[in-house]
Amino acid sequence: MLLKNIQEWTLLLVIFGFTALIGNWAGYEILPLKAIPGMIVLILICLAGFILRELIPINFPSIAYISIIGVLVSMPWMPGSEKIVEWTSEVQLLALATPILAYAGIAIGRSWTDFMKLGWRSIVVASLVMLGTFLGSALIAEIILRFQGII
Amino acid sequence: MSENSNPIFGLWKDWRLHALVFITVIITEAIGTFSIPIGPGVILLLPMLYALIIGLVLYFTPLVKEKQSKNAEPIIVLGVALLLAKIGVIIGPSLPEVIEAGPALVLQELGNLGTILLALPVAIWLGLKREAVGMTHSIGREPNVGLIMDKFGINSPEGRGVMAMYIFGTVFGAVFLGLISGFLATITPLHPLSFAMASGVGSGSMMAAASGSLVAAFPELETQIVAFAGASNLLSLSTGLWVSIFIGLPLTEKIYTMMTRKKSK
Repeated sequence: MLLKNIQEWTLLLVIFGFTALIGNWAGYEILPLKAIPGMIVLILICLAGFILRELIPINFPSIAYISIIGVLVSMPWMPGSEKIVEWTSEVQLLALATPILAYAGIAIGRSWTDFMKLGWRSIVVASLVMLGTFLGSALIAEIILRFQGII
Repeated sequence: MSENSNPIFGLWKDWRLHALVFITVIITEAIGTFSIPIGPGVILLLPMLYALIIGLVLYFTPLVKEKQSKNAEPIIVLGVALLLAKIGVIIGPSLPEVIEAGPALVLQELGNLGTILLALPVAIWLGLKREAVGMTHSIGREPNVGLIMDKFGINSPEGRGVMAMYIFGTVFGAVFLGLISGFLATITPLHPLSFAMASGVGSGSMMAAASGSLVAAFPELETQIVAFAGASNLLSLSTGLWVSIFIGLPLTEKIYTMMTRKKSK
């Protein structure tokens, strides 16, 4: 079962990665050949994360494993991390985001009417989310910076 | 979405879907980014935004059938996984600096929770249901979107909420934070450096706009403002997911249940 899963994940990641590499080329002028090693590394990190999620019997999202593995393999104490950083830097963050949102647009279509119902209220709430986060952060920073005597 | 029910089997064979996305990506990336300056910030029009719109329009054409739309959903999770792997390898090399940035910056990340106290009650009061959970559990950047997709899926109410927040933040975030940061720093008794740290809560462009208008208001503090904002942004990127998993989302759920129960009585 796990093997079958790995096969499906790999195929999809490769298709997605291929689209992202072409976008990486069209939008950021990085030749696909130059970005392939970085994409392979990113795909392997994802696979490792998905596999861990299946093997470890606690309810922990796979994306959490993936981001930990990403940090671990690229931190300066890890042998060979310079290569990983060098390769993956050829894959632009935004080039990965564009295909995600293209798939998302097609998927969201089905609940478009529900989306429209959010309407103006979502603008009010979204503004408050940003204001709340910004002020909350500033308040805590103020308390700690005063406590440390920095300000 | 439960990962055990294997919604991904055979999805790679949906060539119609992949081809549509492929063409969309080429077109949107070729168009490129436009930034429209407004006050201290800019309105950012990114290829990913056009991609979302084209995807939506495609859904309403005969090119996309119900099946493609359903198949697209689990692929988003895989795409977000790649994005988070990339964010991981961005954080890795600067891990020593993140550690050095110290407890002040780490604790300040909990300011993210300010949104739950301020925005969640208003959202419920405005009549939003489960959408409110996705929208207000965090500032809604990539890691937070990933978490909600992983747990609820994109066509769930929570998924719609977090996507609305993500899109708003992507398009208007920089303008919004750029406008309020200079304003709040001049009218509130809080120190500009506290606001500098707060500038890092969202995306890179939000940080640039927010810290930019702080620098304009307090030019003598420029280097410190930029350093604090940058360190805080790096940290948001590294800890945002964890604050959401362990504190933000559970707390939002709790307050949501409490408030809706009271309301229904």
